[in-house]
Amino acid sequence: MKKVLTTFIAAIIVVAGALAWYVTRKPASPFDTVAAASAPSADLIAEGKYVARTADCVACHSVPGGQPFAGGLKMGTPLGDIYTTNITPDPKDGIGAYTLADFDRAIRQGVAKDGHRLYPAMPYPSYSKMSDADIRALYAYFMHDVKPQAVANTPSAIPSPMNMRWPIALWNAAFAPSRPYSNVKAHDAEWNRGAYLVQGPGHCGSCHTPRGAAFNEKGMTQNSKLYLSGALLDGWYAPSLRSDPNTGLGRWTEADIYAFLKNGRNGHGVVFGSMLEAYNNSTQFLSDADLHAIAHYLKSLPGDPARDGAPFAYSDATMAQLTPAQRMSVPGAQIFAAKCSFCHKLDGKGQDPWIPPLAGATSSLVPDAASQINVVLNGSGRVMANGMPDSYRMPPYRAQLSDKEVAEVLTFVRKAWGNHGGPVDAKGVAALRARTDPASPQVIVLQMR
Amino acid sequence: MKLKINGHSVEVTSDPDTPLLWVIRDELGMTGTKFGCGLAQCGACSVMLDGKVARSCVTPLSSVGAAEVTTIEAVEADPVGQRVVEKWIAHQVPQCGYCQSGQVVAATALLKENPKPSRDDIAAAMVNLCRCGTYNRISDAMLDLAGLGTAKDGETL
Repeated sequence: MKKVLTTFIAAIIVVAGALAWYVTRKPASPFDTVAAASAPSADLIAEGKYVARTADCVACHSVPGGQPFAGGLKMGTPLGDIYTTNITPDPKDGIGAYTLADFDRAIRQGVAKDGHRLYPAMPYPSYSKMSDADIRALYAYFMHDVKPQAVANTPSAIPSPMNMRWPIALWNAAFAPSRPYSNVKAHDAEWNRGAYLVQGPGHCGSCHTPRGAAFNEKGMTQNSKLYLSGALLDGWYAPSLRSDPNTGLGRWTEADIYAFLKNGRNGHGVVFGSMLEAYNNSTQFLSDADLHAIAHYLKSLPGDPARDGAPFAYSDATMAQLTPAQRMSVPGAQIFAAKCSFCHKLDGKGQDPWIPPLAGATSSLVPDAASQINVVLNGSGRVMANGMPDSYRMPPYRAQLSDKEVAEVLTFVRKAWGNHGGPVDAKGVAALRARTDPASPQVIVLQMR
Repeated sequence: MKLKINGHSVEVTSDPDTPLLWVIRDELGMTGTKFGCGLAQCGACSVMLDGKVARSCVTPLSSVGAAEVTTIEAVEADPVGQRVVEKWIAHQVPQCGYCQSGQVVAATALLKENPKPSRDDIAAAMVNLCRCGTYNRISDAMLDLAGLGTAKDGETL
């Protein structure tokens, strides 16, 4: 009996020891035995700068008015607020002391130099697919072209004991397969380049893929039907990027996708919400070949008719409700005519490509109206193409329209011209109004992405 | 590109995304059309495109195409516009006047589409803003133009 107990205790100690080792170990990096060049070539640095654009590091690792990459952006998590870190090469506050292997572990495996696990707000589950070559170039850029900034990191506000980092290693084992992208032989080089950019550095799934109970993305590749099938995050609904005619890219051509990522606009829509940041900081800077590759890959993802419903077909029956004689008696119609129609036009078709249509717009067809409510309340930011702000911007109606009026005009829009997104109720507007009010204690800050 | 404006065809060189307002004011030098909010909210920049009211601050030049643009400068060349201006004077509508070219254009567009608008039609169509608060006088002039008599004391539509 005593022997059994001893064996049992010994087994527990071994398992606990193994677990303790596993959750605190520094995983291996292919760069463990490789020293980075002390004076990398200008080409390698330029390549790394481009990789930083594809990965959009600056979007999260900066705050408005702050220095690029100095961190400090607040992100809300269910456990408390966390702050992005300083990733400039400052030796004390930044990553100046990181070797190439340390840098690789942080980006592709979510492990900091001192061995603590990063929160998966850092999209290392996606970045794990990045190639060795891209990591090497990115390191050269950060170490040799980004200016060091002595900006101290803000400690996270997650209380003890929830702030222990080791359990994340177990989360990683379950949800973050750490393997660089490998080409799918059945597809050509362009498709594979697009898949690499979308799944890896572009981390499109961080917003566009629905998440599970553990905040894990429910699919990291085209092998999952849920990959890039649309998700709600930060009060914006990031729509499907699959070939769903209503809620995704089914009606878009590859040229349309290219134009959207290159110019921020096409006849189907204009970037807004979180995508505005992705456009302003990242996609417009990608090469034409890479944008075409992304478009090519996305168009290969099939839609799901069961989820997407009957395809949109334009109907002009709505026009009868928009005559001056009629619109005072149709809820939402007069608000649409007086506030919306001068830009989006009475026929809902917008002004291609400068002002987006509402007829057939993804946001008018997705069941979740968060993006439309959010943009009506808070307006849109400036689309910055080639360093120039565009001339047309959605104004905020927070002060002009009541919850009921916003609900009425959106309900009108969402069933006009053949749209079938479903009605909006005033309670939903009130909830998002409170959560997007900067003065509110429950305001949405950037969530895990 | 070619722009048909106030009965003339002119060649303009602004970029396709330029708001029509800036083409009218800056390139063509016609300053009767005003900049108010730049966001299609106030109506000071109203012009007519093929007789329908449009807000030129949110109308990209490329959206105009072959449509005939009418600005306040030519509104009196139209018999309906001429009547509107006469009634605007008769009812002494303007105060500072800044929004009034837009108001007159909106009124003209409504009456061209519907010569006998109801009170609801007028309320639905006359949504331009006026910081002086000339709404009572605008209502008077519109009811007169529609043949609906005059507004009740203090009534605005």
